[in-house]
Amino acid sequence: MSRAARLGAFIIATLAILAAGVFIIGSKQYLFSPTYRLKAQFATVVGLDAGAEVRIGGVHTGTVREIDLPTKPTDKITVLMDLQRSTHSIVKQDSVASIETEGLLGNEYVAISFGSEQAKNVKDGDTIGSEAPLVIADLMKKADGILVTSQEALNNVTVVTANLSSISTKINQGQGTIGALVNDKKVYTQLDETTAGLRDTVNHAQAGVTAFQENMEAMKQNFLVRGFFKKRGYESSSDLEKNEIAKLPDSAPLKSFAFDSKKLFDKADTAKPKNEKSLRAAGQFLADTEFGVAVVVVSAGMTGDEQKDLVLTQARAMVVRDYLVNNFSFDDSQLKTLGRGKGKSDTPDSGWGTVEIIVYPAEAEVPAQTSAANPK
Amino acid sequence: MSHNASIPHRLISQDVPQAPSLMRATLSSLWSPFNGFLEWFGELGIFAWQVMRAAVRRPFEGRELLRQLDEIGSKSLPLVALAGAAIGAVLSLESRSSLVRFGAKSMLPAALVFSIIHETGPIVTGLVVSGRVGAGIGAELGSMKVTEQIDAIEASGVNPYKYLAFTRIVACILMLPLLTLAADLFGIMFGWIADTLIDPISFTKFIHHGFGGTTFSDFLAPTFRTLVFGLIIGMIGCFQGMRTRGGTAGVGLSATSSVVLSSLFVILADVVLVKLILVFFP
Repeated sequence: MSRAARLGAFIIATLAILAAGVFIIGSKQYLFSPTYRLKAQFATVVGLDAGAEVRIGGVHTGTVREIDLPTKPTDKITVLMDLQRSTHSIVKQDSVASIETEGLLGNEYVAISFGSEQAKNVKDGDTIGSEAPLVIADLMKKADGILVTSQEALNNVTVVTANLSSISTKINQGQGTIGALVNDKKVYTQLDETTAGLRDTVNHAQAGVTAFQENMEAMKQNFLVRGFFKKRGYESSSDLEKNEIAKLPDSAPLKSFAFDSKKLFDKADTAKPKNEKSLRAAGQFLADTEFGVAVVVVSAGMTGDEQKDLVLTQARAMVVRDYLVNNFSFDDSQLKTLGRGKGKSDTPDSGWGTVEIIVYPAEAEVPAQTSAANPK
Repeated sequence: MSHNASIPHRLISQDVPQAPSLMRATLSSLWSPFNGFLEWFGELGIFAWQVMRAAVRRPFEGRELLRQLDEIGSKSLPLVALAGAAIGAVLSLESRSSLVRFGAKSMLPAALVFSIIHETGPIVTGLVVSGRVGAGIGAELGSMKVTEQIDAIEASGVNPYKYLAFTRIVACILMLPLLTLAADLFGIMFGWIADTLIDPISFTKFIHHGFGGTTFSDFLAPTFRTLVFGLIIGMIGCFQGMRTRGGTAGVGLSATSSVVLSSLFVILADVVLVKLILVFFP
């Protein structure tokens, strides 16, 4: 190889390297492909430099050519970008430019979104819309704020937990009422004892009441107080309505006996009987006849207090019933009473009221007990 | 000595150094290297001026220039390519380990390409060429000088500044950027080979990543910076060769000094040039 040829080969080879380098770098900057220019305006470019990549759909399709600071404080920074002509069909008037970062700390680049199909094409030198870049420092500030808040919240939680812990420790150690309740067997034992004592007391009270009832019963028989009950004609007020019915049966009576109260009772205002033997006819009839129900109906005279008269008639009916039940043999559940109170009778009247014994046949319906009566 | 021994009294009186003369001696001992340095620069300036004056005059020594281009350019290629390849491989291996440590392994092509085309390629080329060519020029011109061939050329009516110096300087200036490109290419290629042997990556991808962030100022300015390196190497080699004195020993001295000085000035000039390039291509 001659000297000149060797030199020529060397020069051509090295110049080829130069050309290759120029083209490799040039292709990165789109110096050798047809481009068009777009502008976008940003309040901050977060360190974007001229020469940075422009990506459309993540594909490197252009270069940031220039970044111009505004001349007025109210204006924004203008970023001039050269884009490959081939992207012209994708980028439209409504495409949006945004500044993004490769990874978290990588290079900044401009990302341009696809335009919509119906939007107008961009022209060389057009300005497209922009989106404020995400500034990591701002994010950090926000994250810091969140961290501070959550720190405070956690501090509160810690305090609450400490309180809870202190409370539970106290409970566990048996301090305070709850602690004593939870931990002290003595309290439970005492409570148990108290309950047992209470039960005993109730039992005693019951026994006392029974004894008292017996005492009362005995007292009624005692000669000192016996007079009161004797004069009244009956002993227990609670028995007054025991067999009373609310109203007379609807069916027609089989037989009816009527007596003047003056002939049956000692005084006008008591239920103490006299001449009970005059009731014998009625008693005999009840013993001899198959009947459904019989009612002792008593009414008082027109004198006296209405409430007292109601009690009096009820008592007199009871007394008459007791006499009949005790002296004649028939089913006593069939004999009912009805105290009618003041002056309801139209039977012969001495002013003391009347006593009627009305007997109903077997098919007669037994009316309901008076509401106040004790159920059997 | 014998004179001093025979007249001891005068010796004593004369030998006691007087204050002004002591100061003068101290000053002159400091002054002479500095003076020599200034003289060297002055002579270099005169030499440069003579070369420039000779260069603009006809006839142009085309054949000699071609010979020097071949001598300095093509013949340096294997050396430069080898040096570039070695440096590329070393850079690749070294920066891999440090980049892996920072989790930035994917930055390796960019780091390698950037460092080779920016600094390593040009400076390695400059130093290798200053070693090979600087020594060659210094020794060749030095031996021509001591054997009085230069005087003979001058006597035959040929301007030795033009025929010997200018052709070599121009050849250096023209060849250095081309050699740098070769060094860059081999550096990047062997950097890729060293990289792909450890962690396979296609050459296309390597190049694509490597040149991802490079601009023309990253590539062209450092490459053509070596024009200045070429000027320094050629100029100092010729200057040291043509001022050779003192026979064969002087030839060796000028060969050595031309290598040392051209390497030193290449590095010093690099500092200034890098700063200058950063000013004009930030």
